[in-house]
Amino acid sequence: MQRDLGSYPLAPGVRVKLVSAGFQTAEELLELKPSELSREVGISKEEALETLQVIRRECPVDMSKYASVSISGKNCTALELLEQEHTQGYIITFCSALDNIMGGGIPLTKTTEICGAPGVGKTQLCMQLAVDVQIPECFGGVAGEAIFLDTEGSFMVDRVVDLATACVQHLHLIAGSHSEGEYQKALENFSLESILSHIYYFRCHNYTELLAQVHLLPDFLLEHSKVQLIVVDGIAFPFRHDFDDLSLRTRLLNGLAQQLISMANNHKLAVIWTNQMTTKIEKNQSLLVPALGESWGHAATIRLILHWDQKQRLATLHKSPSQKEATVLFDITAQGFRDVVPSPLSPPVEPSANPRKRSREAREEE
Amino acid sequence: MGVLRVGLCPALTQEMIQLLRGIGIKTVVDLVSADLEEVSRKCSLSYKALVAVRRVLLVQFSSFPFNGADLYEELKTSTAILATGIASLDKLLDSGLYTGEVTEITGPPASGKTQVCLCTAASVAYSLGQSVLYIDSTGGLTASRLLQLLQARTEDEEEQKVFRVLPGDPKPCFQGLVGLSLPLLIGAGALQRIHVVRVFDIFQMLDAFQDLRGSISQQATNASGPVKIVVVDSVSAVVSPLLGGQHSEGLALMMQLARELKTLARELGIAVLVTNHVTRERESGKLRPALGRSWSFVPSTRVFLEAREGPGAPAGCRVASLTKSPRQPTGIQEVMEIGSCGTPEQNSSLEGSKS
Repeated sequence: MQRDLGSYPLAPGVRVKLVSAGFQTAEELLELKPSELSREVGISKEEALETLQVIRRECPVDMSKYASVSISGKNCTALELLEQEHTQGYIITFCSALDNIMGGGIPLTKTTEICGAPGVGKTQLCMQLAVDVQIPECFGGVAGEAIFLDTEGSFMVDRVVDLATACVQHLHLIAGSHSEGEYQKALENFSLESILSHIYYFRCHNYTELLAQVHLLPDFLLEHSKVQLIVVDGIAFPFRHDFDDLSLRTRLLNGLAQQLISMANNHKLAVIWTNQMTTKIEKNQSLLVPALGESWGHAATIRLILHWDQKQRLATLHKSPSQKEATVLFDITAQGFRDVVPSPLSPPVEPSANPRKRSREAREEE
Repeated sequence: MGVLRVGLCPALTQEMIQLLRGIGIKTVVDLVSADLEEVSRKCSLSYKALVAVRRVLLVQFSSFPFNGADLYEELKTSTAILATGIASLDKLLDSGLYTGEVTEITGPPASGKTQVCLCTAASVAYSLGQSVLYIDSTGGLTASRLLQLLQARTEDEEEQKVFRVLPGDPKPCFQGLVGLSLPLLIGAGALQRIHVVRVFDIFQMLDAFQDLRGSISQQATNASGPVKIVVVDSVSAVVSPLLGGQHSEGLALMMQLARELKTLARELGIAVLVTNHVTRERESGKLRPALGRSWSFVPSTRVFLEAREGPGAPAGCRVASLTKSPRQPTGIQEVMEIGSCGTPEQNSSLEGSKS
């Protein structure tokens, strides 16, 4: 295989020595034994062995492999992807308007970013989703577990207890109205204790801990294969202060984003992170924009911006690969994240009338 | 050009290589550029033998100059222009994406880069019936959106009674599709021509290109024909974790990737479409494409997308500006609608659609 040595993940020191010894393509290395290689190039035997292993792994010596597989094993056609997507679930937020504009809820295998000013409800949404991901499948949920990485310390267990209790009560109401036994059976395992025990909580105090924790997550996911949601509450907080080297920050953030999307894709789970807002001043006016810079805007697949409009909370779907831009109202009640006009929700989520219109009429009636 | 090995030419024996190595000539470059009289004196090899070896090596490793007229003839027969399916973008690109070249779409977040990529993939797979390799590094590919775009296209063509199930198309896998409408079935044929590879770091991306080369060189019977376009969304997602910092390995890897893209485009006769992010310049606050000046020489055409500013702008409306092109004047702009990319409502409002 005429593949340049620079395109292999080799250690830089080894690569420099290989190039200075005159080797340029992988073909030339394939015929050598490790001892010959280490003698010619001047590297240790272990390094030579590792190098040859890396190169042999990437280009199989047996060329007939290509006759059966057109492109590598990770390849699939868009038709197969479509079939996979049809069976994939969404994590509902209990705010049907928001679920509608997002196409059903928070999608799996994608990264979603939630930006908002302080106090608008980002952490509330994260806690609600950590509870909602555990809803059994017969009620329209994905029956998964959640990992919560907290950098700001804003995770309140008492609040999660409130949310979980409200969710359990809500599902009991729905199960009560249906006579089939499967709903009751599913609810046997869905209690406050089980919900709380399936949220894995990690507290990260600075960016090093956050990066280390994300690095260790793949091993954790192998042991806990039912995890369907990773929440990073406050990805901006550890990166926004005490960072002199901005290019390092960009590099670390981009690497983090790629690790998270690769986990989302490989383990079929949803990744959510929350971001803060910062003020941008241009043309004599100031705007609130998401923090961490322009390059961070490209990191998430889906971006949701929560903001205030006088006394009301609005959610705008700002960036999505398959849904149109839209804005809806939402509310945060004692039971958690809900629609503005509280109405009994029942799965499957029915297409609701535009809640904005309803609230305007309500106001006109006053 | 690499290390001197026994198999390179018949006259080059193992003992000759050892003698040459003894005086410090290890690679082909060393031998070809050395003074052969001195070499023959130092290693006691015959001068004629060395000259013969050098001639063979030069023939093997040097490239030959092309006559300009021959090059023009070759390009005329081998270059194809693939329409992206968005009429205004095709106008900007001088009727579409040229094979043998790398085209870049760049813009701020939510400006429509992924939509352009999806639309192009749908258009090439459906209207032109060619295979597409879609390399996704951001998770932005949703097959249901692709299907939406294809359906909009098939409904339009159904009215003109044009069916696009080409001879030699593999029968679409009907298991999940029984009972669906005709446009959906036809769209399924096009979906099978779009191959998706999900990569999340640069080595995986380089592996994917290597596999593509392997499959094409082995002429593996890919049932839907050879790949005609490679869409990479996005290239900066895998490269930006490497750039910056004190060591320049990241830059070297980026240039490896650049070289791979360009040689793929040229050697295999395919069009390459990449997307790039933007960064903000520190002094002037203007937006410019990411990955720096070194990358700016890689694509031959660059398009900048942004949302239309202003209160009266309809959602989904984007302005595409041409910032680099070998054929068109830069600075020209076109307005496009990303919600319904390239469907009849858009085509009717612009003259002369070519797809």
